[in-house]
Amino acid sequence: MRKDWKLHIIVLFFVFIGEAIGVKQFNLGVGTVALFPMLYVLLMGGIVSFPKLKWMNEVQMKKAAGILGISFMLFVAKLGSMLGPSLPKIFEAGASLAVQEIGHVIGTIIIGLPIALLLGMKRESIGATFSIDREPNLAIISEKYGADSPEGRGALGVYICGTVFGAIYLALLAGFLGSLGIFHPISLAMGAGVGSGSMMAAASGALAVTFPNDADDIALFAAAANLITTILGTYICVFFSLPVTARLYEWLEPIIGRKSKEAEK
Amino acid sequence: MLEKTKVLALIGFIAIVGNWVGYDVSPIVALPGIILIVLFTIIGLGLNTLIPKMPAVVWISLIALIATTPIFPGNEWIVEKTGKINFMALATPILAYAGLSLGKDLESFKKLGWRIVVVSLVVYTGTFLFATLFAEIVFKLQGRF
Repeated sequence: MRKDWKLHIIVLFFVFIGEAIGVKQFNLGVGTVALFPMLYVLLMGGIVSFPKLKWMNEVQMKKAAGILGISFMLFVAKLGSMLGPSLPKIFEAGASLAVQEIGHVIGTIIIGLPIALLLGMKRESIGATFSIDREPNLAIISEKYGADSPEGRGALGVYICGTVFGAIYLALLAGFLGSLGIFHPISLAMGAGVGSGSMMAAASGALAVTFPNDADDIALFAAAANLITTILGTYICVFFSLPVTARLYEWLEPIIGRKSKEAEK
Repeated sequence: MLEKTKVLALIGFIAIVGNWVGYDVSPIVALPGIILIVLFTIIGLGLNTLIPKMPAVVWISLIALIATTPIFPGNEWIVEKTGKINFMALATPILAYAGLSLGKDLESFKKLGWRIVVVSLVVYTGTFLFATLFAEIVFKLQGRF
């Protein structure tokens, strides 16, 4: 704790600057891109932790990742306090909440696996596309195939991409899709309830910026969707996502897989 | 646990500063709310050590949820106080810590092939888009909007 005070001071400083800049929206013609404090602080953090600068060492960065988990808990507590008074509203949307979870689960596989195969990936594609590959999913895949298997490497690859640009990407995607006006903010909020803390925070934040009048409902339904994913996620992965992805791989690979044997690292 | 409590209090402090700068809520007004939120988190973490089968975040959500439902004594006061904290103000520190931990994965990221980068983009798009699409379809079928 004493050794981490630098981290907290930096974060306090970032938050101060980020919140002072506030929300900026840019019109791209077809839709808008929303920039907001969460993205600024993420970027500032990325610069400070940039390895070449040597401002932070590996241990400090790992510490920051640990504190990230703790700070997510406070966010969850806040969201929980919004859920309590709105339970009737949540139950009313029960059918959508249940079905969106199916979307979260198969959305990664349905378009992920065919594209991975078309790009020439082999068994890596199973690990890469059976889930969004956060920590719990990594544990599942290394238990089944081993961390150093092709499947494990595929999962780790997506995991690393997730830490590096997952939150930024989902924030931009959510804000952009929202601004197109095709989907209702509540449906988008459920989409934002993905199983990763920083991705969910960033995506629901982007939606709240895009639809300021629905900000509370967005937080509410993103939280509900995320809670379902957190509770059911592991079971769904073990008993559904992973076996189904492996099966689909066996079936699709001979059809659309590239002939060349080059393996993706 | 004491260690975690201190960290939680510190992040809570950072959040009310952000809440002040970004959402014009004075830290004095926000203080009871953030204390409650930290309290829910600590109780949730405590229950998680007793019954670890359920993830800590689920416990924490459950505690905060129960404390704000109409059956809980004093729920109106709790809802009012926690309502002073903008949820975005609590999310900003998460991303700041995420940014500060980013460097550790940058080396391994550079070693990844372009294919896995493309596939990960597709995977994130897929999970977001399909969940949104499915929710929307059900709402439309129910005639909600």
